[in-house]
Amino acid sequence: MNVLDYQAAWQAVIHHPLFGLGITLVVYQLAVAGYERTRSVLFQPVLFSMVVVIGVLLASGLAYDDYRDSVLPLTLLLGPATVALAVPLFLNLRRIRLLFWPIVLTLSIAGVFATLTGVLVAWLLGAEPLMLMTLAPKSVTSPIAMLVAEQIGGVAALAAVFVMITGVLGAILGPTLLRWLRVTHPAAQGMALGLTAHAVGTSRALQDSTESGAFAALAMSLMGVATAVILPLVVALIT
Amino acid sequence: MLLRGLTWLILFQLLGTALNVLFFPILPGPIIGLLLLFIALIWRGEISDSLNSASMTLLNYLPLLLIPPAVGVMVYVDAIAADLWAIVGALVLSLVVSLGFTGWLMQKLIDRQTRRSNGT
Repeated sequence: MNVLDYQAAWQAVIHHPLFGLGITLVVYQLAVAGYERTRSVLFQPVLFSMVVVIGVLLASGLAYDDYRDSVLPLTLLLGPATVALAVPLFLNLRRIRLLFWPIVLTLSIAGVFATLTGVLVAWLLGAEPLMLMTLAPKSVTSPIAMLVAEQIGGVAALAAVFVMITGVLGAILGPTLLRWLRVTHPAAQGMALGLTAHAVGTSRALQDSTESGAFAALAMSLMGVATAVILPLVVALIT
Repeated sequence: MLLRGLTWLILFQLLGTALNVLFFPILPGPIIGLLLLFIALIWRGEISDSLNSASMTLLNYLPLLLIPPAVGVMVYVDAIAADLWAIVGALVLSLVVSLGFTGWLMQKLIDRQTRRSNGT
């Protein structure tokens, strides 16, 4: 017994039910530490973790299904975390009441604008109708986007991908872009991040302040509800 | 007591799921749960320490919880690679334009409202 079976040990480790959860926790903490030290967008936690975890899974030959089973504890908590967004909303109720009309106007004008620009740019780039319908709900949180995409004739799974890419892009580019446009009010920053980049944008806004996070959560939920109700009706009317 | 707050969050999520199946098939359970909890908090007019600390702890880890769905992109790598530049172009361009516009519009509306209330 002087030859150790490294191969078997390696296989046992990567196929252990905790492997996916383990690498996710390690990579996430590396991303947070890297981000705190450098403030570089490369360490944006969701983006960095996504790229590194996909790299590890491909290198070790694991399928996404195995990974998904392993990280089920995290996935399960996403629902209660979404419900928890009601708390910053409530804590900032006074500020929200104060800005009632700016919120309503921004939501209705910018919400339509955000949905239309995505479809319009993709149409100009020659995308198929199937792709356009998949892109239309890209600004809203993925469970809503998947349902809406399916209802208007797009691909649900691909819609979730576009939602994630949009969210990560928003969290990376958003703060710089807003500073550049001199958008300084936390409420305006939060509205922009939550309305266009849903939960990922909201988690970025929460890093700045609870006020910004509250407006992001508000924009995210209102945009989600409005898209779910209005978009299928509009598509049914014009087609 | 963190556990009690977490229990409330889970109960509201489950209530949302029930209403989703019964009345609102298009709205996901967690979003209905969010709206219900928000209404319940307004109705009560205050928030318990346990719910506050459970929510803040959970929201602190929101980026971590979003990693699994983000990794799901890998399943569609081939489909995305085929139209990579059109997709990335459409997503980046529309995101930059709409995010900038949203922030700018909200800022303008807030500034206008502030000026008005100062004027009167």
